[in-house]
Amino acid sequence: MAKVVPRPQLSFWESIYFVEIFKGLATTLGHAKKNLLSPDNFPTLNYPEEAPRLPQDYRARHRLMKRPDGTPRCVACFMCSTSCPARCINIVAEESPDRHIEKRPVRFEIDLLLCVFCGYCVEACPCDAIRMDTRLGVMSGDNRRDFVIDKAKLMDWDPKDYPLTDVQSQKAPGGSLHQQALEEFRSGTYH
Amino acid sequence: MADLITINVDGKDVQVPAKIQLIEALRTYARTETPAFCYHQDLKVAGNCRICLVEVDGPRGFALAISCHMQTAPGMKVRTQVSSEKIVKLRKGVMEFLLVNHPLDCPICDKAGECTLQEHYMGQGRHESRLDDATGKQYKGGADYRFIDAKGQDRGGKMIDLGPTIVLDQERCIICTRCVRFMDDVAKSPQLDIAGRGDHAYITTFPGEPLDHAYDLNTTDICPVGALTAKHFRFQQRAWLLKSVESIDPSDALGANLVIEYNNGRVWRLMPRRNPEVNKSWIANSTRMLYQDLARNRLTDGKLNGADTTLASALASALAALKAGKRVALVASGHLTSEDNAALLALCASLPGQSEVFGGSWLPVGKSDGIARSGDPVANRKGVALLGIPDNLDALAGRAKEFDVLVVVGHDLWGAAAAKAAALESIPTRIVLSSWVDASVAKATIAIGIRAWAEVRGSMVNINGRVQLLQACPVVPNAELEPAWKVLAQLSAAGKPFSWSSEIDGWKAIQARVPQLASLSYRSIGPSGAIIPLAPLPAAAGV
Repeated sequence: MAKVVPRPQLSFWESIYFVEIFKGLATTLGHAKKNLLSPDNFPTLNYPEEAPRLPQDYRARHRLMKRPDGTPRCVACFMCSTSCPARCINIVAEESPDRHIEKRPVRFEIDLLLCVFCGYCVEACPCDAIRMDTRLGVMSGDNRRDFVIDKAKLMDWDPKDYPLTDVQSQKAPGGSLHQQALEEFRSGTYH
Repeated sequence: MADLITINVDGKDVQVPAKIQLIEALRTYARTETPAFCYHQDLKVAGNCRICLVEVDGPRGFALAISCHMQTAPGMKVRTQVSSEKIVKLRKGVMEFLLVNHPLDCPICDKAGECTLQEHYMGQGRHESRLDDATGKQYKGGADYRFIDAKGQDRGGKMIDLGPTIVLDQERCIICTRCVRFMDDVAKSPQLDIAGRGDHAYITTFPGEPLDHAYDLNTTDICPVGALTAKHFRFQQRAWLLKSVESIDPSDALGANLVIEYNNGRVWRLMPRRNPEVNKSWIANSTRMLYQDLARNRLTDGKLNGADTTLASALASALAALKAGKRVALVASGHLTSEDNAALLALCASLPGQSEVFGGSWLPVGKSDGIARSGDPVANRKGVALLGIPDNLDALAGRAKEFDVLVVVGHDLWGAAAAKAAALESIPTRIVLSSWVDASVAKATIAIGIRAWAEVRGSMVNINGRVQLLQACPVVPNAELEPAWKVLAQLSAAGKPFSWSSEIDGWKAIQARVPQLASLSYRSIGPSGAIIPLAPLPAAAGV
């Protein structure tokens, strides 16, 4: 059903145009004055020399979480690719040699050019295997193939880039909790 | 139709046949969704899952009864979950018992999406489990649950290799015994049984014995949970991602009904489709594996004297050969649809006085196994006979010297009987239309690729005289491949050409030739097929 959008009713001073123009100029000049007086808070970034300040929950490029032994947490359940509205996740599953894991991805690819960065894959994942917290908001490549990132690239991240409060990242190889997690993993008490 | 009786379901009178299972009456006639795990239409009733409980009026008032084990009787009064809170509560309780030791591994379970337990859990259970490690939940997947028996057989736990085709997960099993009943009563080879008691019971084979029946993959279909999974489909795709078309078994004259499931340009599996008058719910393992051939060893282009060429140039060469040919032998095939064979007859008619149609097969005919195979490997033998094509391949071999062009359509003559087919090699131009690079293609001077059975629409007549439809799955190895009838229509340019726009024209050509089929259409044949009327229906006068 079509939605009817009411047209704004303009007052006399708005409809003669010139008053509004000068109001707008006053706003612009106000910002110019503020930036000139306090250059430290200048909102424009010297990109790429200066990295953008991304918020904590910014949905950036994906990463695959790792178990303490370095294998992906992913069990190839296809929940992410099923929920993906852009159909950019391509998974090929295989039997895992570990009977308790049972299933694992032999291929896990995300086409970043198709991805709409909605975060549904992160929501859908039943085992916290996929996250979008890499803060990699800018991606570059020479051809389309470069934007299809595979399992190796998705798992290529360093626990040191993540806060110590991010327990799951710290349990991965190289993380501050790794040794302890690895022992738990080997003894079968790891969760 | 059997006698109808009246039963009362949730206060409403419903007309149902007498002496059918109450669950069938509820599902089919009263339109009341009734869950069941152990009940299966084509198996004997066991009545062990208890989820189909309803209240039935008896001498002592309404009492609980399992609807799968009760037959309809006149005046029966039934309360289901629609009118009875008690049933809702009971089903929830039964569900809780079934889920006591069931793992929550739906994300990696291949059955998810087509799992009866999952379906009914979402429908009516939806409770938090009251069992955990402390209160005695058995994680049968745990390492301590697994053991090797005296015969070296893996017992207990997950991922148990049951045989060449099936993997068992005992943790997911709800002991409905459908698989046991299938092997006992349908396959008549009791290879599976329950061992242990109570909640330690598990499905297993006899010590040291594998599960290796020619129909054992049907147990994976009827398994209401993901306990039995097929090795060939394990972890390949999720059930909900698959699209499907309905077709029939092209490798046997019974024409077992099946579903082709595909996505992403690949056929992933063939599943049986229930047809109580043909194959019930079963298909043979060999039929099920036919999907592998759809992507294997295909003739996707043309061949000229064994060298690869394009379809167009192979077709042009064939056309030139037919134009130059003085005597053309056309060989019909029982492996193709009736429409394709009608096209061959039309091609014969377009080359009058010059061509002759031969039919039949050199493949040996076996015995029926009484389940879903008749033993006759020529799927459309009856359909070819119905079109009036004689069974005279041997005569063709004897008269090979008379002909200078041979056209073989979808029929591996050399593969079936190389010794008999050797006589045909005296025919100088041998045109073979085939879906696969087979022995006949190797002997052909001109070979043209055609679509395989899964990729065409058409009809076949099974051994019992039932016309059944094949629907086309859009997965084709080469998009330029055409169905056999289309290639034959193009070849008819050598004489008086005929042109069909679709298979429907082929069906009309069949109807013109076979008056018994005049009353049938693709729509009236439908997914379950139609028995050929013995005689054409008399023209309705004055209606």
